[in-house]
Amino acid sequence: MDEDKEKPVPAPKKLNSFAITNDNDDPNNSHDTTDDKDNLPPPESTTTAADEGDENHDKNDVDQTPEEGDRDQIKEEGEEEKSDEISVLKVEEPSPLPPDLGKVSEEIDQYMSTMFDDESVHSDVHVPIFVEQFAVLVEAKIEDYDGESPVKWTDLKDEEAECFLEALTRISKLSISLNKFSSDFKFAYSINRIGGVLQRGMSYLEEEFKLLLEDHRILDPETESKPPPPNSVSEQEGEGEECSVPESDPQEEDKIKEYPEEILSNLKKLAKCMILGGHETECRRVYFMTRRTAMEESLLKMGFEKHSIDDVQKMHWESLEREIMTWIKVFKQCMDVQFPAERKLCDAVFSDKPSISATLSSHLCRGAIIQLLNVPEAVAMTKRAAEKLFKFLDVYETLRDAIPAMDKLFVPRTVVEIKSETTLIKSRFGEAMVIIFCELENSIKADSAKTPVPGGAVHPLTRYTMNYLKYACEYKDTLEQVFREHKKIERADSGIGSDFDYNSSQVQDQNVAETESPFQVQLTKVMDLLDANLEAKSKLYKDQSLNSIFMMNNGRYILKKVRGSPEINSLMGDPWCRKRSSELRTYHKNYQRETWGRLVQCLMNHDGLTVNGKVVKPVLKERFKNFNAIFDEIHKTQSSWVVADDQLQSELRVSISNMVIPAYRAFLARYGQTLTPGRQTEKYVKYQPEDIETYIDDLFDGNAAASAGRRKS
Amino acid sequence: MPGTDNQSSFLNRISIRRNQVVTVENNHDQEQEDLELFQKHVSERLSELLPTGTPTHNNHNNDLPPSSASLDSPSTDSSTAIPSLLSISWFRKLLDSFLCCEAEFKAVLLMGRDPPQFCKPPLDRLIPELLDRSVKALDICNAVTQGVELVHHWQRLGQIAVTALNQRPIGEGQVRRAKKALSALLTSMMLDDKETNNSSSHGKSAERTWSFGRRGGNATAANNGNNKDRAAGSFKSLSWSVAKSWSAAKQIQSMSSNLVAPRGAEQSGLALPVYIQSTVLVFVMWSLVAAIPCQERTGLATHFQVPRNLGWAQSMISLQEKIGEEWKKKEKKGTVGLLEEVQRMEKLALALVEFADSFQFPLEDEKVEEVAIQVAEMAEICRKMEEGLVPLQLQVREVFHRIVRSRVEVLDVLDQVGKMSSPVPY
Repeated sequence: MDEDKEKPVPAPKKLNSFAITNDNDDPNNSHDTTDDKDNLPPPESTTTAADEGDENHDKNDVDQTPEEGDRDQIKEEGEEEKSDEISVLKVEEPSPLPPDLGKVSEEIDQYMSTMFDDESVHSDVHVPIFVEQFAVLVEAKIEDYDGESPVKWTDLKDEEAECFLEALTRISKLSISLNKFSSDFKFAYSINRIGGVLQRGMSYLEEEFKLLLEDHRILDPETESKPPPPNSVSEQEGEGEECSVPESDPQEEDKIKEYPEEILSNLKKLAKCMILGGHETECRRVYFMTRRTAMEESLLKMGFEKHSIDDVQKMHWESLEREIMTWIKVFKQCMDVQFPAERKLCDAVFSDKPSISATLSSHLCRGAIIQLLNVPEAVAMTKRAAEKLFKFLDVYETLRDAIPAMDKLFVPRTVVEIKSETTLIKSRFGEAMVIIFCELENSIKADSAKTPVPGGAVHPLTRYTMNYLKYACEYKDTLEQVFREHKKIERADSGIGSDFDYNSSQVQDQNVAETESPFQVQLTKVMDLLDANLEAKSKLYKDQSLNSIFMMNNGRYILKKVRGSPEINSLMGDPWCRKRSSELRTYHKNYQRETWGRLVQCLMNHDGLTVNGKVVKPVLKERFKNFNAIFDEIHKTQSSWVVADDQLQSELRVSISNMVIPAYRAFLARYGQTLTPGRQTEKYVKYQPEDIETYIDDLFDGNAAASAGRRKS
Repeated sequence: MPGTDNQSSFLNRISIRRNQVVTVENNHDQEQEDLELFQKHVSERLSELLPTGTPTHNNHNNDLPPSSASLDSPSTDSSTAIPSLLSISWFRKLLDSFLCCEAEFKAVLLMGRDPPQFCKPPLDRLIPELLDRSVKALDICNAVTQGVELVHHWQRLGQIAVTALNQRPIGEGQVRRAKKALSALLTSMMLDDKETNNSSSHGKSAERTWSFGRRGGNATAANNGNNKDRAAGSFKSLSWSVAKSWSAAKQIQSMSSNLVAPRGAEQSGLALPVYIQSTVLVFVMWSLVAAIPCQERTGLATHFQVPRNLGWAQSMISLQEKIGEEWKKKEKKGTVGLLEEVQRMEKLALALVEFADSFQFPLEDEKVEEVAIQVAEMAEICRKMEEGLVPLQLQVREVFHRIVRSRVEVLDVLDQVGKMSSPVPY
């Protein structure tokens, strides 16, 4: 229909444009491209033709698909081309090499824009000579750059590079245009010729694209200016945040650090030209392979080493621990910096083709992350052991925190895949940790050593368990999550495993889950087990006082650990702490009564000391002897007892002093002068109240001999 | 221990299940029946994998119209038809069968059994061996996953050639483009051989391939003097490896070295299913390694032998023989793996490169037709790969996860039973 409209016009057009071609050396026109509308009709060209064309174009715009519209645009331009053919046909015989690529380019552009005008026009016309001329010129150019001594892309001057890409773009378009006539035999030669040159050019670009990617990476700034913080074993808090700090710097974020700006813009241009030339697959492949190697190199540089699952199972925990620490560092670095940077780079190089860039970078990161995930996968399979809990928690958290960022890195299909893999591995760590806690319970239950700790000191089991729990509770929220998830899995599992009835416990579980935190339940259970175990251990002490000291020591230690850690404290709660405190007071009282009650008793019991207001001396002497003996004995045994906690130690001493000293003072005051001063007093009043105080202060040091020797002999 | 009940219920689940069954007296007959059924099923599943009469590598024409009029359309490639040995779809079927066997095995092993059996001979030795084997199988799964990735990469190169050579008229540019892709394909295949067969050259070969870049490669190039493209810029194939010095062949060897058929009284106990499933596992892993590019597989053929006299294993034995023969045939000249599609792709690539070398424009019509047939076949292979590789990869992953899960379940039982006489390698 459009063709019909145009048909009446050609005759005048030809004439008009013929005139124009003659002074077409006009530099204004030498760089036009087919789709550059501004350059279309030279200002001096005949208005009639241009106007008609424009009108035509406008009309067509309304009811045509964009593609057809483009073609029309080409037609517009093409007003001149038919005349070119004529002119070319005229000069065909002599065929001198045109010295100027610009001129030939222009001819080519015009030729392309008219090719589709009317098949009949071409039916009896050969492909114009300038197509071959163009091929020769471009080929010569390629030969210059890619001949015996190839020229590196970065060695080309900007104009040269620009001009070369323009020529290749033109030849790509020409090739596409010619191919539309592939069934027409007389085009075959040119299609072959142009295709050959195009291929050679693309081949050069491909290699240069690869070299640009390979040779111009800036390796240092990324990895060395911001080394990830060294992971110390206990500083689990800092790790997560510190790593992401450099990321959040808004200025840094948008910059691509791996390539200089100028190289990037070249990469972009080459990619664009290759894609236009139909070499998208090659371009993607080169990009993919090169970046894959680059990524692998950076992983290696970060210290990531591959191990087979088999090897990991056989590794010692110490080495595995080191591997895990490296892994966490590398994985975080990848998720926070490396992968987003890869995406950014890809977006920049393929800025015209977001779909390519999304798939490519997704694919690149997928390859790397699958390798990375192999490590936790293998670690999760290793034998569970209590000491692994903390590293497992670190891995669990790392995986958990990485999941949300995945949406931005991968294409949807891969997001699903990688997320489910990650989640699966994460849940394996979750289950492993639940089992580790079970094993902690079991090991507490199973600890039944028959020898009491000397001096009633804090039992190693108490120390171990409490320190373990204290560390564990630093991961309180994560463990909470782990136990909650475990409950969920349990419930889901019980739903699936239909071959036995699990309903009763399911209901129970649900109730539990709603009311209290499963980790708190877990923690309380461990505490209770520890208590029960200590209770049993205390029975090993024949001496009731020592029994109390032991319970006090351990109870105190537990309470102090709980109070010292806000996490456990909040989990165990104030009522629990209060209960423990009052238990401790009871032990304290028991001890005081058991040990010092006896002593004070002999001071307080005045029976028989006085008869008719007169002091019975022998009884008094006996009383003093008795007191001295009891006190000596207490001092002897109890100074080897241990109260490691300073506060408890001084509390005990103070309370003992408060109980004993005033009583003794009063006793002395009342009966002391009854004894004859001198030898008798010295013999029976062995201790002044101050001495008693000093001796009490000797207690619970755990080293009787030393203190006795130091004081008095 | 009431304390741990709600903590470790996924451990207890098994025991609950078991206890329920154990209470049923007289379950020995049931056990025997289960064992026989398991054997029968394994045997049946394997026999479904045997090619029906058609010699290996010759029935890939089944997508072309058959000369003899058969009623079921062969082009549908439906599940009823047995896919040709070592093709992608054959492997998918193989893995399906494996997953079925595995599920049944787990049921036989774990359900309705008396856990203390696990720490008495012969299971006290067999179970740890089984666990060790499954860990090794996991590494092989990972290696195979990467191998499939590499095949995928080859497919993309093949696709470039197909696209180029589907242009008409076939011009020099397109031919050279195709050749470049195919050379890269062949180099990658060849490198893969070198790398997989010579692990010591690992690092070196990477450098060497990188330096292929500018020229070389095309030195032997064409007769038309116009062949000045850059060489195929071959990249080191896909270098993600399992681990340095890891060897698929060695893994297979150590998986099968302690595989001994139970004798005498053991034949009626759990030793037999453990042996059967282990054999199936090794067979599946062995054939995957043989077919799909894998790190280091020298001498693979000799690493796995099944005793000839096992009734249930007849199909496996003949499959193993067929694959073993193929392997020996190919191993001498180095092989990219026996995967049917890859083998065909390699042949076609060689043929098309030869065509490219002798190409002269314009091409005579008959030559065009000849090439068109080859290109169509290449396109068909690419299509099969495109369709089959991703599902295959997912299936390998599925196998991986299944093995992990079963291992955990077995370990849980062991945990319950307590100490084992031989240390458990977990």
